[in-house]
Amino acid sequence: MSAPRDSEPQIGRSVLRKEARAKLTGRAPYVHNLVLPGMLYGKLARSPVAHGRIRHIDTAAARDHPGVHRVLTGEDMRALIPDPHYGPAFHDQPILALDKVRYAGEPVALVLAADPHVAEAAAQSIEVEYDELPAVYDEVEAMTSKAVVHETLKPAGTFPDLKHLAGKRDTNIALDFHLRRGDVAAAFGRAAHVFEHTFKTQQVLHVPLEPFVTVAEPGDGRLTIHTASQSPSFVRSEIARLLGWAENRVRVQVPFLGGGFGAKLYIKLEALVAAAALIVRCPVKVAASMEEQFYTLTKHAATLRIKSGVDANGRIIARACEVWWNGGAYADIGPRITQKSGFTAPGPYDIDNVAVDSYALYTNLPPAGALRGFGIPQLVWAYESHADMIARAIGMDPLEFRRKNILREGRPQATGTVMRDAALGEVLERLAQRMRWNEPFDRGSAALRRGRGIAIGFKASISPTTSVAIVTVNADASCTLLCGTVDMGQGSDTAMAQIVGEVLGVAAEQVSVVHPDTDVTPYDMATLGSRSTYHMGNAVRRAAEDARDKLLALAAELGLAPETTPIPDLFRHKYGMQAGNVIGMGSFVPAYTPTDHASGQSDNVTPFWMVGATGVEVVVDTETGHFEVTRLVNVADCGEAINPALVATQLSGGAIMQLGFSTSEQMLFRDGQVTNASLAEYKIPGMLDMPARIENEAVAGNERGGPFGAKGVGESGTFGVSPAIANAIEDAVGVRLSALPLTAEAVYRALRAKRGEPLEDA
Amino acid sequence: MLVPNEYRGPEVATARTRASAVFAADGPAVSPFELIEPSALAEAVGLLDPNDSSVRAAAGCTALMLMMKAGVLKPRRLVSLRRIEPRYCAIEREPRAIRLGAQVTLAQIERSAVVRAALPAVCRTLERLANVRVRNVACIGGNLAHADPHMDLPALLIALDAGLVVHGGAGVRTLAVAELITGYMETALAGDELIAEVHIPIHATRRAVYRKVTTRSADDWPALGIAIALDMNPDGTAADARVVVSAATDRPTRLGEVEALVCGARIDDALLGRAGDAAAEQALIGDQHGSAAYKRELLRVHLRRALREAASAPPAAMTS
Repeated sequence: MSAPRDSEPQIGRSVLRKEARAKLTGRAPYVHNLVLPGMLYGKLARSPVAHGRIRHIDTAAARDHPGVHRVLTGEDMRALIPDPHYGPAFHDQPILALDKVRYAGEPVALVLAADPHVAEAAAQSIEVEYDELPAVYDEVEAMTSKAVVHETLKPAGTFPDLKHLAGKRDTNIALDFHLRRGDVAAAFGRAAHVFEHTFKTQQVLHVPLEPFVTVAEPGDGRLTIHTASQSPSFVRSEIARLLGWAENRVRVQVPFLGGGFGAKLYIKLEALVAAAALIVRCPVKVAASMEEQFYTLTKHAATLRIKSGVDANGRIIARACEVWWNGGAYADIGPRITQKSGFTAPGPYDIDNVAVDSYALYTNLPPAGALRGFGIPQLVWAYESHADMIARAIGMDPLEFRRKNILREGRPQATGTVMRDAALGEVLERLAQRMRWNEPFDRGSAALRRGRGIAIGFKASISPTTSVAIVTVNADASCTLLCGTVDMGQGSDTAMAQIVGEVLGVAAEQVSVVHPDTDVTPYDMATLGSRSTYHMGNAVRRAAEDARDKLLALAAELGLAPETTPIPDLFRHKYGMQAGNVIGMGSFVPAYTPTDHASGQSDNVTPFWMVGATGVEVVVDTETGHFEVTRLVNVADCGEAINPALVATQLSGGAIMQLGFSTSEQMLFRDGQVTNASLAEYKIPGMLDMPARIENEAVAGNERGGPFGAKGVGESGTFGVSPAIANAIEDAVGVRLSALPLTAEAVYRALRAKRGEPLEDA
Repeated sequence: MLVPNEYRGPEVATARTRASAVFAADGPAVSPFELIEPSALAEAVGLLDPNDSSVRAAAGCTALMLMMKAGVLKPRRLVSLRRIEPRYCAIEREPRAIRLGAQVTLAQIERSAVVRAALPAVCRTLERLANVRVRNVACIGGNLAHADPHMDLPALLIALDAGLVVHGGAGVRTLAVAELITGYMETALAGDELIAEVHIPIHATRRAVYRKVTTRSADDWPALGIAIALDMNPDGTAADARVVVSAATDRPTRLGEVEALVCGARIDDALLGRAGDAAAEQALIGDQHGSAAYKRELLRVHLRRALREAASAPPAAMTS
């Protein structure tokens, strides 16, 4: 390298987050703070009905409300955009409801005013007459329901992995995924034991503390969108598609996000705000309230049936899984979840005979999409609860049962893809060591019983997706990275700067990162599914290497020693002063073989595997069912840790989030209406709910395809939490819960039922 | 709009009315309203209108602003109590009671050495009431007048025989906290009455506890609240008892049967069992925190535990 190498390697360094100071001092920019001259605020009127035909929308009172600028409905959208439907899998979601509504909370009209309070008050005066239709809420009922949420299905055809989507007409099935490997029926026939269990998960949501917010600013034949989005490139192309514009007429800018977790992907408020701004020809801002987040995007509730055949030695020889995903009224990215999560439904075990049937279903509930784990936490909840239930039934230690069946390096997974660089065995062993699994365990007293449990999960990464990056080396040797990855709190700015620094031999602190601006930063598929470190990391590495090669060529051209000449000297020699740039470009798209539609088989289903395991210790109050997680141990394989401190916080952050989904969070409904749409009645964990001991470990791993051996870790902490807790509860008090959330009342009722004294229902 | 400088001067003794439009930039909408900040409690009472529910008194505003943001309350006029006489912001140790001005914040009480010495259960209860930001601004008067059945303090103050001084258009009167809350978020206060003071009696032999039972996150509203105050005889029997249940009832409710069982009795395991079973006879309301049947079992268990804890707690200090 032409610069004297910074003494310290940049990879493996716990570099302080680049944005820490700005955030702690309140200077970090967010869309919520953005105010533009002449801006109008929009407030939505939403459907109180879960499923109904719109007979009439009366906006007269809202229009006449003093201070109201304009009231827009779906027909105004249709006048601007001939087919105003959007979505990443199906073009099924109208910008504002057209003809019918499909869930309670669906946007029906938008009121614009210079004063948001005027807009809010006027929105409440909009009166809509509906002809109510029969509704379907349960995912299993949706399979056969007479109530059909969508009469026609319009596949988007955007993403290569979803090209085959068709949906099933006159049903609620948006996607059905099937996998067949070996001879399942025969293997069940010869199994020594067959176990079948059904598990359920509840509908929850992301609740980023920054709710959805978008500002659109029309310009001269152009449109600028400032939005809290995890997918600026998708927003640009989807808005351009809707408007019939070239992509370069739409500019999408994303500052920091106050959390995303999968909620702020694809189109959320952007199409609405963009259309409104073009109609009224002035800037428009829509900022959702915390309550409105409950009507925008959620995590799939699911029903999971899992059946296993086990031989006399405790080897799983057959497994059949059926999963029904409650996708709500619009598919969002649910079909991909159904497919991606479908093929890992049998778990990280070496099973020769496997069948999976996974269904994405429409219902009349708020839409469900990606949420930190992309369906995997639901699956692990089922297969790792199931694992402990089998182990107990055959009298085998739960760790030993997993050891005996775990999928080892070089063995084919259910899709037929051979496992590579997935440290499943090591992660399981490190977890067991940390839990001191082979040592005696204090079982507590009569009233307060102690127990422990473990669970392990894995996840395929999204594929194939593209990232592009540009590294600019300035004449003073400082570097600027142009990168579409959205730093939503995970620390990607810092990790990407470390990759640039490692290649160019400069400290990560010397590398600045330009936040997504589609006029400036190149394409990136999205910040999701723990893909950025691997995909964007590879693109960034290639861009930095391209810049380095150009610097070396420049040195050669100037006749300077490439290894010893400082970078600023290269530019001074070339341009006669501190001037000029060297620009490196890199792009990355991994290889991929789509799964066969009939068999679900593929020889290359993912660029990398994520592995996460969790162990917990609990104390259960046998008189009340109340329990406390006293120790939470997370172990993951993230390849080489680029920034160990960020890895630890990703693991604990994911695990704590899943702790909430496991114990206290649940969207409650009456006739399809959310009845607890506020943080007062939807309880995320607070500081007092943190386990007294939280430990995080990344095992020594190496992902051959990743940048410097790294891969994603944003979701690994979520995988094992729910089943580890349920397993620990059974270990403590001998009752098994099969539905989330694991409430104190559910534990108490199970204890009473076990005693033969069931508690009455009300 | 900022308060004009001269308004802050000590020479300004009379209430000034000023209209103020409150805007929360992009947040949930709050309709504009008139804000009046009188400098005397009597003036505040005079600005209330018993026949107009759109005129509301405002203390710490922690509950009020949430209700306004949620759109369930749209006041035309708020009469703020934040500038009334300093004596309503003071905690005083009287010979046989603690006197709290209505505008004393919950954090002030929590951190008060005299309250901690005389009524440790009050301070312990406050440590888990809402969160530190709320406690820093919420006031005892506003807290009690809000009358949400899930609140922690009403049950405890009823158990402690606390009383109120109330100022209204018809004059000054006293009433017990037990008489204040008449139903779900309903009080015995007239539309032009304000809580001015809270008096909590101190007894050398009294031990009190409050148990907050949450079933979701730790900072959740309680599924059940239990407050117990016991006056203990030197021989270890209970001379008098107050047992109050909250959160599972539409208002804090005294459990007379349990009190009758406990009075004069020695607090042993047999009595605890009988008391828990007697408490479980109380009709309870199920909600998102737990079914009525489950809350009954929680009450049975936690009443036992609370009684045991109260019986073994040290009595309040009598040093003044």
